[in-house]
Amino acid sequence: MQVADLSTPSVVARRPSGQPHELRRFLLRRILTLLVTLWLASVLVFLVLNILPGKPAQVILGTQATPSSVAALTAKLGLNRPLVDQYLHWIHGLVTLNLGNSYISAQPIAPVIGAALEVTGPLVLAGLVVGLLIAIPLGIASALRHTRRSGIVLSGIAQIGIAIPNFVLGILLIIVFAVDLKVLPASGFTTWSTSVTGALQSLVLPAVALGLVEGAILARYIRASIIEVLRADYLRTARAKGLRPNQALIRHGLRNASIPVLTVFGLELSGLIIGAVVIEAVFTLPGLGSLLLSSVANRDLITVQDIVMLVATTVLVVNTIVDILYRVIDPRMGLRS
Amino acid sequence: MASSLRHLAKAAVLVASGALMLSACGSSSSTTSSTAKNTPLQTLTIGSSNVFPPTLNPTANASQAIDEVIDYNVLQHLVQLAPNGSIVPVLASSYTVSDANKVYTFTIRKGVKFSNGNPLTPADVVFSMKRVYAPGSTYPYGKIFDVASVRQLGTDQVQVTLTTPSWNWLYDLAAYSNGVILDPSTISTMATDPVGTGPFKVTGEVSNYSVTLARNNQYWGYKPHVSGVVFRYFSNADSLNAALESGQVNMIDNLSAPSDATLFKSNPKYKVVSSLTNGKVQLTLNNAYGPLRNKLVRQAILYATDRKAIMDAASGGYGLIDGTDSVPADPYYIDLASEYPYNVTKAKQLMAKAGYAKGFSLQLVLPPYFYAKLAAPLIVSELSAINIKVSVSTIDFPLWISQVFEGGNFQATIIDQAEGRDVSNYGTTGYYWHYAQTPQVAAELAAANAAPTKAEWIAGYQKVLKQITGDAVNDWLYIAPFITVIDKNIVGIPTTAYTESYNLSYVGIGGTIPASAKQLGYLS
Repeated sequence: MQVADLSTPSVVARRPSGQPHELRRFLLRRILTLLVTLWLASVLVFLVLNILPGKPAQVILGTQATPSSVAALTAKLGLNRPLVDQYLHWIHGLVTLNLGNSYISAQPIAPVIGAALEVTGPLVLAGLVVGLLIAIPLGIASALRHTRRSGIVLSGIAQIGIAIPNFVLGILLIIVFAVDLKVLPASGFTTWSTSVTGALQSLVLPAVALGLVEGAILARYIRASIIEVLRADYLRTARAKGLRPNQALIRHGLRNASIPVLTVFGLELSGLIIGAVVIEAVFTLPGLGSLLLSSVANRDLITVQDIVMLVATTVLVVNTIVDILYRVIDPRMGLRS
Repeated sequence: MASSLRHLAKAAVLVASGALMLSACGSSSSTTSSTAKNTPLQTLTIGSSNVFPPTLNPTANASQAIDEVIDYNVLQHLVQLAPNGSIVPVLASSYTVSDANKVYTFTIRKGVKFSNGNPLTPADVVFSMKRVYAPGSTYPYGKIFDVASVRQLGTDQVQVTLTTPSWNWLYDLAAYSNGVILDPSTISTMATDPVGTGPFKVTGEVSNYSVTLARNNQYWGYKPHVSGVVFRYFSNADSLNAALESGQVNMIDNLSAPSDATLFKSNPKYKVVSSLTNGKVQLTLNNAYGPLRNKLVRQAILYATDRKAIMDAASGGYGLIDGTDSVPADPYYIDLASEYPYNVTKAKQLMAKAGYAKGFSLQLVLPPYFYAKLAAPLIVSELSAINIKVSVSTIDFPLWISQVFEGGNFQATIIDQAEGRDVSNYGTTGYYWHYAQTPQVAAELAAANAAPTKAEWIAGYQKVLKQITGDAVNDWLYIAPFITVIDKNIVGIPTTAYTESYNLSYVGIGGTIPASAKQLGYLS
């Protein structure tokens, strides 16, 4: 009698003999899709921003400026050239990694974005860590206990976490830890070069405010996906073989459970980046979110374009990697899109 | 629990205690006088509700956030406005006005150096003033462009000839950052490092976060009693208030919302200083829109508005109601608050007389500022009493500029007309509220500016103010306040807000200021 091979989670499919070719073609296709999507995103961003009413020159020089000054500045910024010209000039800059100069300050944009990333990068990462630290234990525990009262309580906690807006949580944290207890700064960011401890202190409350909500959302996904795995036949078979419930779950179930979670992970990243914009405003962190908001308010269109493309590229690349990993983890998905 | 979960739980506890340990190692460092150190000079940290300065070059951008930091503090003018409204000589040690306000001769102060050590020369003054109106100039504001010629006289004088005589030109030179005197060799780096003759110099900025000034040790005048000043920016009123309460900043230069003053008024650690600005918060009426073309309708609206209630709601009761386009700092100031007392019956009579007893609908478009948001509901309910159905929408400021200000495409809006001495807007053809009598006002203002005596100039301007109020061009709600909250030991801040600059010339943590400074309007 043939015994099912339980070291892989499913019946192994016969692989066609041209496997390396398939893989290469798949990768090429995915990368091509990525590039086309990026290009479309750039066109969309450029069109939307440049069709918005509100000329940068008039905003810069104010309501009392002479019309000739406004015209002179518009020409100086190159904003009276045809839109296609301006678009091509911008794209050429991006591709050659020249992000251009701000319309407002005439200073290079790249160093400003770099400085902002020193704040937002660690913030998003820390938020992700906080989120995972909450989601994994909470999700697994509530899934294992989903038929019992304690599991319902845990699930309820996750639900509350999803319901709280992250800026409300942020302000509450400031009141408790900064104003009342005075153990952490109420706002602001000590740069990494000034003090590493100071920088970490500045990020604790924001990371918690950012990560808690995302963690609660992720906990729900983990819970649902583990419950589904717990009901699977192969797990019952593993139990029948003599494994204890948790051993069976870990050895056979987690890999399957991780697939939908991986998908959500890609979306979580977008959620964290968006959440970071709000959290940066609450905690006055000079990150990418603050830069984006102030550039929109100043009609510094080129900085807005650059930041949006940066974020879009990050999200699209991460999602592409997730997509590829997906198919590596689960050969059942195959290599066709 | 499975062992792996136990490991996870342990890890979580470790990280949490790590975070708590981090927070325990030293609380936030940027506070001030609580630690008794022997160094007499400290850094003043100012929490600002303004937007972050888009550039540090005030001649490239009209944003008041730039002037708040740079004007008067880093870059100086020939003459400047003291907090009490008087025009005082600064880089000019004296000046004479001749040819009926057309020719101005300035004697340049001796011994003045820029913060980089270069001496101030009359040639620098000529260069800076010519830069304003040069062809292709992109100076903001449009002020002090009306210059025909600037030339050096002798070794230490500069003579300016205007295109037309003006009683306002000296004020414009003092009040607007177009009048800053620059070191020609530093022009290329002005966006990040403007070099001037002022009491402070720029030593750093963190984008969207802070600007740092250090005391200029080459400064020719009174040395402020601080080692430096840091402006920190907050986009959120709660964060700003929390920063003061937790000691991260020493003061808030202007509260985001005046009603927040109640948080600090009864706290003995702080002092609340309230003052007025040049800003006239008004319900602007498009005089070219349908029913608003009729003067009786506009007057009805003014009678139907309870300005006191609006000021209480939008401004925490701070401010001043004077019913016209003028503030107490103006030499021609006149109080016309009693012209349109709150009288709904009278308002209804006027509406009926104008043929609008049944009322009409009015679209009120708001910029995204707190005073507009707070005043709007009261406007809606007060105008509904005379059957005007108001619908409200909010747009962002650049859109307000393009749609309302440039395009004149609106019916009514609420805005703080923040420029000082801007009565000339009522004589500018095409100005966004489309007043029908602009040519007449323009002629009267021109005559007043050409008047031989100051008294006649003042009389001419007051006549115009009475006319625009009589014609109910706009509904002037109240003069916008400026509310500063300081730690008790801070001295030398300006007690009025009539300048774009936040004048730090006499500021100090602890200590006192000279009696002459107190007379000029600095806090002692």
